[in-house]
Amino acid sequence: MTADVGNGSAVSARADSPRRGLRARLGRAAHHLLALPSVGWTVLFFLAPLAILLLYSFGTQNLLTFQVQFGWTLSNYTGIFQSLYIKPILRSFELSLFATLACLVIGFPVAYTIARARRRSQAILLLMVMIPFWTSFVVRTYGIYNLVSYNGPLYQLLHALGLVHGYLHVLFTPIGVGIGIVYTYLPLMILPLFVSLERIDPALLEAAPDLGATPTRTFRRVILPLAVPGIFAGCILVAIPATGEYVIPVILGGGKTLMFGNVVSDQFLNLGDYPFGAAMSVALTFALLIVLMVLRSRSYKAEQRIT
Amino acid sequence: MRLRPPRLRSIFTSFVMVFLYAPIVTVIVYSVNKDPLLIHWEGFTTRWYKQAFNDPTVRQDVVTTLKVAALSTAISLTIAVTAALWARRASHRWRRAFDGLTYSRIVLPEVVFALGLLVLLGKLHVPFGVGAIVLGHVVFNSAYATVIIQARLATLNETLEEAAADLGASRWRAFRRVTMPLLLPAVIVAGLLIVSFSFDDVIVSQFLGGNNAQPVSVLILGMIHLHVTPEVNAIGSGLMLITLLTFSTAGLITVLWPTGAGQFLGLGGRAAE
Repeated sequence: MTADVGNGSAVSARADSPRRGLRARLGRAAHHLLALPSVGWTVLFFLAPLAILLLYSFGTQNLLTFQVQFGWTLSNYTGIFQSLYIKPILRSFELSLFATLACLVIGFPVAYTIARARRRSQAILLLMVMIPFWTSFVVRTYGIYNLVSYNGPLYQLLHALGLVHGYLHVLFTPIGVGIGIVYTYLPLMILPLFVSLERIDPALLEAAPDLGATPTRTFRRVILPLAVPGIFAGCILVAIPATGEYVIPVILGGGKTLMFGNVVSDQFLNLGDYPFGAAMSVALTFALLIVLMVLRSRSYKAEQRIT
Repeated sequence: MRLRPPRLRSIFTSFVMVFLYAPIVTVIVYSVNKDPLLIHWEGFTTRWYKQAFNDPTVRQDVVTTLKVAALSTAISLTIAVTAALWARRASHRWRRAFDGLTYSRIVLPEVVFALGLLVLLGKLHVPFGVGAIVLGHVVFNSAYATVIIQARLATLNETLEEAAADLGASRWRAFRRVTMPLLLPAVIVAGLLIVSFSFDDVIVSQFLGGNNAQPVSVLILGMIHLHVTPEVNAIGSGLMLITLLTFSTAGLITVLWPTGAGQFLGLGGRAAE
């Protein structure tokens, strides 16, 4: 933009038409300068770090000097499958899958209720779903920690109801981490579901029972197919970040129940095995890319079927 | 209409709402609970807030958080506005590549790129601290801001700017007097959102802060890990209040003015219609 201004004063003495041509061309060149901050930052601090990880993942580390030697070995990748880390890695996918399904099962009735509510209460209910989502994520996860701790409110409630004897063993277990993931990502499931359910023409829901469909059949043949885009959108929004989750296992797993993100960062922060850690990060990224692409192509097909 | 007893799904929805608010309520209740062991309710106190307020570590970390948020927001917004202005006139192919870069900064797990940045900055001997955290925050914050500002820019008609140019305004003047005022609500909303992302971030902040800088979010994580004291509830309540305020202000502005931020605030469905 400054180039443009300078150009204006430099050529101001010239005749009108060539001045315009030059201005236009310089203007176009100057226009590309606008992309520079964004592209520059992305290349330096996003693509370069990823490139380094990719490069390291094929390298080896000198065990004495901790220097990384570049090479083309695949041993870091094959090492992932032989290591003791395969357990937390598989747990990541398991937890993410179960949490996504749990979010879907819990979120669907809620989204449906909100979609069928009257205008006024609909706005209030949506706001109620959004407010936790707008509240600090670290602190909310810590809130779950409070809630499920050995003698926390959940324990006291269950104890009062006579449902639990002895202490509550949820914190620092996979169940605790799972609850944390479901809790954190539930709003991200409810919102897209709501959007697709709200679009359903109420006339369809009235026509189905009029034509003799049972509620179950109406749900299976009318509501569910029309909600499919929302289901996929919600699953993408939950499953992708949940698989790469780092903070929730740190707080609710207590160093015992770890996930992919934790074992990867452990390689860098504590063990110092950069090539192995790099191979794990690349593997994690590719795993997520595959999940994303499968879900997206499915959701695209589902969308095509409806419209 | 005839009156019906409350349906099963209404009851279920109420339970889910309780589930969504229970953890938040425990933090707030614990923050004013006299019992230092946090087992029973022993009456109201503001002691933990006073303790947190007078804690030199907390004060220092609040300053760190504010520095990081201010710097990363300013840089992210500059990057986002210039990039959005560029993308508007860019060819289709360039734009697709550009959008790919933007979305990958949002989708890629933060832990992966944060570790990559950790290795890169280590190699280049860049000291860890506020500056390093800002480098990382801008990566994802500028992506969110770009999406929001681009969405708003797409709804703006270029005739106003063309009219300004025809009337003899320089490009810069047209931008300042015509485009920027129209873009302002989107820029403010993007700013509010990324300020809260900065406040709330743990991964980049922890990995790249090193021993030199520790934002409040990382402090909270450390306090939970070592030993849970009532003070952490007070600090947490404070952080919740701030993020809630910035987010709801952003939400309010989005409802009142078109900003293109609906998809990040969960107002996507409404905004699309």
